[in-house]
Formats: sequence, C-alpha cells, structure tokens
Amino acid sequence: MRLSDLLHSEVYDQDGVSVGHVHDVRLVRDGPVIGSFGATFSIDGLIVGKGSFGSRLGFDRAAMKGPWVLKALFNRLHASSRFVPWDFVAAVEERKILISRAAKELHEPKALDLNGREEA
Amino acid sequence: MAGQKMDAGLDILDVQIVDKDGRMSGVVDDLDFSWDEETGAPYVSSILSGPEALGTRLGGRIGLWMASVHARLHDREDPGPAKISIGVVKKISNHVEITVSREDLDISRSPDWARDTIISKIPGADRAVE
Repeated sequence: MRLSDLLHSEVYDQDGVSVGHVHDVRLVRDGPVIGSFGATFSIDGLIVGKGSFGSRLGFDRAAMKGPWVLKALFNRLHASSRFVPWDFVAAVEERKILISRAAKELHEPKALDLNGREEA
Repeated sequence: MAGQKMDAGLDILDVQIVDKDGRMSGVVDDLDFSWDEETGAPYVSSILSGPEALGTRLGGRIGLWMASVHARLHDREDPGPAKISIGVVKKISNHVEITVSREDLDISRSPDWARDTIISKIPGADRAVE
C-alpha cells in the first residue's frame, strides 16, 4: 500500500455517511526498528475533512501564527476536519475507506508543534 | 525520536533527498507501507522516488504519461518505482538524509539506461567529456 492510495480517498462511516476526503496521514514513530533509521513510522490515523488547501500550506499548525486573516479563514474551513485513528479503519478500497465508527464519534485533529508533538 | 509525529503529506512528500556526500538525489514522491506481522499496523518501509512514483500519485493522463515514459526509458520489463529502504535513511527533517551514495539508488537507473542506450550512440558522444 502506498501513501497515495490513502490521500484524497473518500471516508465513509459505519452508516455509509461520507466523513470527507483524506487530507493527510498522521504518522507516529513507534514502528519496527529498521537499519540505521531505528524505529520507523507507523500510521497513527487519517486527517479527514472537506477542504485541504490550508492544510497543504500548513495553516492548521499551531506554530503558524499568521497572516492572521488567512489563519482565521483556514481555521474556519478546517473546523469540519476530523481525526480517524487507524484502529477505526475497517477496509481500504480503491479511492474509498470504510471505518467502523459513526462520524459523530470522531474528534478534531490535534495540531502538531515543531517537535512533532501534539498540542494539548 | 520515539513518539514523534508527522503529517506525511505536509512534512515528507516532495521533500529533497540528500545522499551521504551531500548531493541532491531526488525528492520523496510517495511512501510505501508494509504490514507489521505482530500488530497488523502499516509502517513506512520505503521511500518512493522518480517518475513512476510521481506519475502514479498524480494519476490521470499526465500521471499515466509520466509512468509510461519511465517504463520506456528502462531496461527492465516492469521497472516499478525507485525504492529507497527506510533502513538507509539517517534523518527526516526539511530534507531526507540517506546513508548511501545516489549511484547506489534505483533512482539512477533511467538516466543510466538513457546514457548507455541512447546518448552513447550519438556520434561524438565519446568526446562529450574531455
């Protein structure tokens, strides 16, 4: 499986309701140890929502402070973004991902700081 | 750094790859995942680089065209993407540092094939570099 198989796929909850498209895939460094890299990255979850342009520019990052007009605009657009823990993923099909929970159980993704830690 | 998190699309895709001698060696066009036999969780096993990986990622006519050109400029029947094992990666930051030379990577297969099969047959090619 490639990263591009997940990006932009549409995510459906257990009731067949669309949650949005995959904007990004959050990785966490807790995978198996491989060569000189050490512990590799495994998939933590999917960041899913309606609009992804601001995410691609990094405006959903806590460290991104401005311009404030754009920050406010993208914050509003990303209010619908949801984090889908990988454990919730039931099936990955072509351009379609099925999850085993209801959309209302999903929460907003936490922003990452510059050290790769989630903001509290 | 254990527990470090990254958003793959924002933090890793399109990032420059730098070899052990500090030379530019392509960019990260995609990531390949394998499945952990113990936990069943997918983990990053390779970085994919080059026209096949980018073409597949982009999709559509342009993507197909890129992958097709890559397949033609190659000596193998089914060349696939250039893979860089995560095991040779030293560090991922605003660039990806690897512990091997770029000549050792699959990414140089197409240019090598073009040099040996096309460029070397052009009259005067043997005098191109004095």
